Amino acid sequence: METRLYFILGDVLANVAVGAVVGIACAAAFSPGWNMIIAMFVGMAIGMVISLPTLLGFVALFGAMEVMLPAMTTGMLTGMVVSMSATMGDLAFGPAAVLGIKSGLGVLVAIYLINILIKRRAPKWTN
Amino acid sequence: MDQLTKDRWDRAARSFDLMAGYGPEKRWAPYKQEFFERMGEGRVLFLAVGTGLDIRFFPPGRKLVGIDISDKMLDVARPRLEAYDGEIDVRVMDVHEMPFPDDEFDQVFTSCTFCSVPNPVKGLQALHRVLKPGGELHMFEHTGSSYYPFRMMMDLMTPLLRARGTEMNRNTVANVEAAGFELREVKHVFLDVVKTIHATA
Repeated sequence: METRLYFILGDVLANVAVGAVVGIACAAAFSPGWNMIIAMFVGMAIGMVISLPTLLGFVALFGAMEVMLPAMTTGMLTGMVVSMSATMGDLAFGPAAVLGIKSGLGVLVAIYLINILIKRRAPKWTN
Repeated sequence: MDQLTKDRWDRAARSFDLMAGYGPEKRWAPYKQEFFERMGEGRVLFLAVGTGLDIRFFPPGRKLVGIDISDKMLDVARPRLEAYDGEIDVRVMDVHEMPFPDDEFDQVFTSCTFCSVPNPVKGLQALHRVLKPGGELHMFEHTGSSYYPFRMMMDLMTPLLRARGTEMNRNTVANVEAAGFELREVKHVFLDVVKTIHATA
């Protein structure tokens, strides 16, 4: 598990930034007229696409895969959650950003835990 | 020589350290320090010197042969090569066409290299050829993942980054075995994506 404060803060910043940006983008893109299932899949795709340029600066400062994979997961999850919420009723940018930030922090904690579990396990490859 | 690959890395040389030189290197520093401590005093080949970011982790006093397909990358590496307290004989070379005789080296080290070698199994077979029987292959690599959603993300990133010559979803551990090496140890650094691989010829 990462214990260096610089990188923990970097991970938090990257996931918070991606969550907020994707949240706002998906709140702008979807409205109650959308089919929820279609919005969910389109939102996930938008989230992953937007997360890539958003996280570039964070990669240069805080690490490659360790930043990219959590931030892309945040983008995907935020895109899914915010898009579905936006189809159920008007979602303002502020609450959408907060939803994205919460998703980002949740994803980060989950990946830190998954990383501990995977590092303890024997290598696995299913190809 | 694979001119397409050479041109890609020549173009990347000037800006490479901007993305890879600080955050990723600082993050991986403790793992790379431990990884390169395995570098022995025999004849060592370091594949893909690049801009020389890894040289600071080499134990002092070693005699290495370092190769890279891009002379422009090696130009950037020059100050780091000169600062090393040991000997590094650097040559511009394609791993698929190494002119070294069979059984030449005791150890081969690679670092974030086999995401970019166009034909990874063939490249690894070339390393197997130049290693002495029982010689050691040590790799610090990022690979694909066997876990969802990371596997899907690596699969999606691969076509986006292929133009830059980087494949994100390779099964390098399986490629090492396919090239005829015997796996000794695989250690995960981050998830099952960043890892060290130790194998013998």
